[in-house]
Amino acid sequence: MSIKRTTTLKAFQATLRRDLLIAYKRKNEVVNPFMFFLIVATLFPIGISPEPDRLSEIAAGVLWISTLLASLLAMDSLYRADYEDGSLEQLLLAPHSLYFMVLAKNLAHWLISGLPVVLVSPLIGYMLSLPAESFGTLFVTLLLGTPVLSLLGSIGVALTVGLGSRGLILAVITLPMSVPVLIAGTMAVQQTLNGASLAGYLAIMGAMLLASISLAPLASAAALRISVN
Amino acid sequence: MWLWFSKLGSPKWFYELSGKWLPWLIGPMALLLIVGIIWALLFVPPDYQQGNTIRIMYIHVPFASISLAFFPLMALAGTITLVWRMKLADIVAKTAAPLGAWFTALALASGSIWGSDIWGTWWIWDGRLTSMLLQFFLLIGVISLRSALEDAEAAAKACAVLSIVGCINVIVIKYSVDWWNTLHQPSSPFSLSNEAPNPPEVWIPLVIMIFAVYLFFAVSLILSMRNEILVRERRSEWVQQLVQAT
Amino acid sequence: MFDLIQFSSVGEFLNMGGYAFNVWLVYALFAMFFSVNLTYPLIRKRQIVLEQKRRLILNKEIVSQNEDNNEVDNLTFRVGEGT
Repeated sequence: MSIKRTTTLKAFQATLRRDLLIAYKRKNEVVNPFMFFLIVATLFPIGISPEPDRLSEIAAGVLWISTLLASLLAMDSLYRADYEDGSLEQLLLAPHSLYFMVLAKNLAHWLISGLPVVLVSPLIGYMLSLPAESFGTLFVTLLLGTPVLSLLGSIGVALTVGLGSRGLILAVITLPMSVPVLIAGTMAVQQTLNGASLAGYLAIMGAMLLASISLAPLASAAALRISVN
Repeated sequence: MWLWFSKLGSPKWFYELSGKWLPWLIGPMALLLIVGIIWALLFVPPDYQQGNTIRIMYIHVPFASISLAFFPLMALAGTITLVWRMKLADIVAKTAAPLGAWFTALALASGSIWGSDIWGTWWIWDGRLTSMLLQFFLLIGVISLRSALEDAEAAAKACAVLSIVGCINVIVIKYSVDWWNTLHQPSSPFSLSNEAPNPPEVWIPLVIMIFAVYLFFAVSLILSMRNEILVRERRSEWVQQLVQAT
Repeated sequence: MFDLIQFSSVGEFLNMGGYAFNVWLVYALFAMFFSVNLTYPLIRKRQIVLEQKRRLILNKEIVSQNEDNNEVDNLTFRVGEGT
């Protein structure tokens, strides 16, 4: 029982640092979703067609769907270890707003699982013969879209964290919710190829990001309180 | 305030009251259905473009319009569950989810059968069809979450959160999917084709069918709610008396 | 009123201007859904009541056999519990 109380900002930083440190120590949790992304993206040319013309048409969709699946796979580790060793309960009991704690955990999780995928996406885009002019768009939309996927997925994970077999339920809950992001992302890439202005699409994705930053952690926090008790 | 709410939310009170309401709902429902179906099948003139397939509209449109109400209903019930912990609200939420999945499935099925005539294909990735399909998936998600969580109270709250999130999401999905691809005709019972408003002999039976299907929804919801109440309250005295009396 | 009927014969009515299969399929689906949705809750209610009745009888027998067995506590239906 210490009398000195930490500020919310400090608690936010501490949670963020802790999660990044844990990820650094357990490297396979970082590497596995990333490898999954690469493998799924590789399967599409094999399954559909290796011809550059056909690949370039679907490249943006392939990248987005691979990202979506990789983020779904990575989601499971967001709260589970903490739930199992009891530190999640500590987090709920902490005197800080759970909203910021959830936000810190989501940010850490995105830095670990979302950002690597975004960074490598131009390379995969090149391999899938994505037209050169849409690389920038793809990168920016992924950068705006993957945090939304993490934040939405976090709600699903928080709801199912207490369940033994949650994989399928998590997918059923999370994947339909990610559809707007998928639509905005792929349409923006399509739009670059048509040479039209991107401003509207980026504004919509930015709005989705802001809305999910402000609302999704609230739902995640409520869901965590329900699941842990 | 609390007392009033707990009385309103009391399952016993609802069970007794709904028993009195049911005949008053079933009667008009049957009447409207009979009038509506006979009118739709026999008296509505064939559409100048769609011919007799117009008669499918009298099933499809009411089901499609009520399917849109499920997520708002469940979100409302979920909010009441979370804020006031009213028992009845969770009973509504629990019984509405599978009903919603069925209604949505029927709206999708009737729509694709209708589409097979007017569009020449059973399925197209049109905005409204796709968002309806995604709503169906989300409803399945709510149902499976409910069945996966063993603790009834945790399941109630978790489903409430998911319904609220899902309701916001269904709206966003609807707009984004419409924006993505729009082929479906604008939904207005009064103007089926875009050019001319429909004459009264086309839309009056549609309004009748819409009311009939809404009543049908109310009746099926109340019937399954009553069963859910019996199961949940099986240990209370009034249910035991009711069981022994039958 | 009957002169407003859009069909001149029963055969024409059943044929639905060539769209018989689709129109009747939708109405059949509706009829099925409608009847199942109204009869299933009634069947289910009967099941619930029967099951409860059986439990009550079983419970009474167990309680009368051994009054102060602790295991029975889970089976007894205490008044007011579960509300």
